[in-house]
Amino acid sequence: MSARGSALQRRRARAGRLFVLPNLAALLVFMAFPLGYSLYLSFTRSDLFRPATFVGITNYRQLFADPLFGIALRNTVVFTVGSVLPTVLISLGIAALLNRKLKGIAIFRTIIFVPLAVSAVVMAVVWQFVFNTDNGLLNIMLGWLHLGPVPWLVDPHWAMVSLCLVSVWKGVPFATVVLLAAMGGIDENLYEAARIDGAGELRRFFAITVPLIRAALSFVVIISTINAFQAFDQVYVLTGGNGGPESATYVLGIMLFQHAFGFGEFGYACALAWVMFAILLVLTGLQLRRGRQEDT
Amino acid sequence: MYATPINRRTLLRGAGVLGAAALVPSLPGCDDDDRALSFFFAANPEEADARRRIIAEFSRRHPDIPVRIVLSGPDPVQQMSTFCAGGKCPDVLMAWELTYAALADRGVLLDLNTLARGDPAFSTDLHRDSIAALYDTFAFNGGQYALPEQWSGNFLYYNTALFAEAGVPTPPAHWEQPWTFAEFLAAAQALTKRSAAGTVSQWGFVDTWVPTYSAGLFAMNNGAPWCEPRTNPTHLNLDDDAFLHGVQFYADLAASHHVSPTTIDAQSMSTMDLFAAGKAAMALAGHWRYQSFARAPGLAFDVTTLPLGPHGTRPCSNIGTTGLAIAADSPRREQAWEFVKFAAGPVGQALIADSGLFVPVLRSALRSAGFAAAHRRITQLSVLTEGPAHSGYLPVTPAWPKIDALLDRSFGPVLRGKRTAMSLKATLPQAIDRILEAA
Repeated sequence: MSARGSALQRRRARAGRLFVLPNLAALLVFMAFPLGYSLYLSFTRSDLFRPATFVGITNYRQLFADPLFGIALRNTVVFTVGSVLPTVLISLGIAALLNRKLKGIAIFRTIIFVPLAVSAVVMAVVWQFVFNTDNGLLNIMLGWLHLGPVPWLVDPHWAMVSLCLVSVWKGVPFATVVLLAAMGGIDENLYEAARIDGAGELRRFFAITVPLIRAALSFVVIISTINAFQAFDQVYVLTGGNGGPESATYVLGIMLFQHAFGFGEFGYACALAWVMFAILLVLTGLQLRRGRQEDT
Repeated sequence: MYATPINRRTLLRGAGVLGAAALVPSLPGCDDDDRALSFFFAANPEEADARRRIIAEFSRRHPDIPVRIVLSGPDPVQQMSTFCAGGKCPDVLMAWELTYAALADRGVLLDLNTLARGDPAFSTDLHRDSIAALYDTFAFNGGQYALPEQWSGNFLYYNTALFAEAGVPTPPAHWEQPWTFAEFLAAAQALTKRSAAGTVSQWGFVDTWVPTYSAGLFAMNNGAPWCEPRTNPTHLNLDDDAFLHGVQFYADLAASHHVSPTTIDAQSMSTMDLFAAGKAAMALAGHWRYQSFARAPGLAFDVTTLPLGPHGTRPCSNIGTTGLAIAADSPRREQAWEFVKFAAGPVGQALIADSGLFVPVLRSALRSAGFAAAHRRITQLSVLTEGPAHSGYLPVTPAWPKIDALLDRSFGPVLRGKRTAMSLKATLPQAIDRILEAA
């Protein structure tokens, strides 16, 4: 019986490995190999046409001396803060509103999730119309309030604000889904007990809801930060491949794309990609560590 | 009684057989594609039709060389680079005057002299009929990396009805009879209409090209070339006062004189549409806009030269030209050379001339009755026929994409009227010199 059992177990394990194999192969070919190759390229001068020349850490040294790297990093930090903070706050508020047992709440939940299904490029094209200085929806609405037209995408000072607005609009649904799911998992008895103790709605929210969804909040912050840090598509469509006007929206994603596909400097672009990865790794590590410290 | 159930193994086998069967019909297709000469180009639908006409005529004369079209997406240079970096370079490629050098420098394009040497009769005839400035545009580091096939330099379109209505004199019909910056500005001012509230209902001038390059074109007409020499320059004349005055004149049209729309003004309606709708009296553009304007209902237009600045001696357009190149690793070089010879030679050029969709680059085609017949709408045809010979060059360097990005960033405040063109002198020339030095 035990011999038959172990034979069955071995067969099952073999079948399991076989089932995993295609995915594992895909992971190696499409993830591990490109990652390793990009790390190798970052130490070379490569344009993908001529043989790559090993240049050691030259690309990294040039990158840190490049004044545009400083501009791109600053813009990326501004964009990340300007989009992640409002995204988290707004989605927290919306999730709290949607986490109620009201008639027709499903309709509101569906509506709020719609932007999640829209392609980033399509969304950016639509927002281009919304941001039109003369006939854009946003300026028409500001006109009703007797506020002058804002040159959203044309003026360097407003272009970054516009990008953050679009990013928040795009990021809120995802964050809301995660936070709403976390809120759904909180034991109703806790609220009931708090209500009996006389705690108001706001008090219950900050004393029960927020602490109990901290893990989900942390996840949302990390994912939103990673997304914002890697922003490319919406910037490319809204303000162009040069991160204009001037260098107002020149973020790291645009810099990477420009060097790789515009200038053919793949080695340099790979070095930038690994620097971005290192920054994100440190930020994520810090966030996780903070989360763990709070838990203990 | 139960039917025998299909087990998993049978199902998987069946799916495998079906999948393989689905692939079989496509195999001969792959084979045909592999045999055909691939031709990569960028074109709007009308231009694509004109190119198909040339391909059809080539196929009629060379039935043994099938041609497969590879139509470009929105960024042809990037698409071309991706194809070639991936080892799938089309055999014949469209080449642009500003970007081909980067591909030639990386060994993507074939030096056509290697094939032309074996074809001395064709080469001699082509040289005799060519406009040297256009032909030499594709000469780089001792090689010839494309043969020019169309001239796409810029000139001015003007609305004849609006000029007549405002009593503004007809602008020049020849490049040898220049008009000045001052005359051009006066015309633009007379043709700009404003309401009492200051809202503009008709612009004197619109630019449908790239503002940075247009500013440079006005600088060229103020007597300052972009650089010297044209190929692999080590310095651009962005510290030359005449160049910067030309840039300033262009910037002032929108920022100070308000005879041209700013970026904000042009957000709700494109500059091309403004001219096509009769809401602009003059438009800077190349021949690629001709069909759009010709199709605009009720638009009466003609063409004229660019104005000459106070430091200029000879008005000029720019050498905008596209050519046909052959991929260095093409396994069908001989067939590709036959195609390039056909499209850039007298037969293809005559077809281009007759189509009216491009300005040909061979003198014989420019002077042909077919080209004149295709442009009956305009009276000042010599602006087009003499345009290629009156064109100034832009720099030919593999570093152009970097310079282009830098110019775009630096010219922005000047074109918005926030800084003067003279302020560019402080840092821009040095930054560009560094890029050129590293190239």
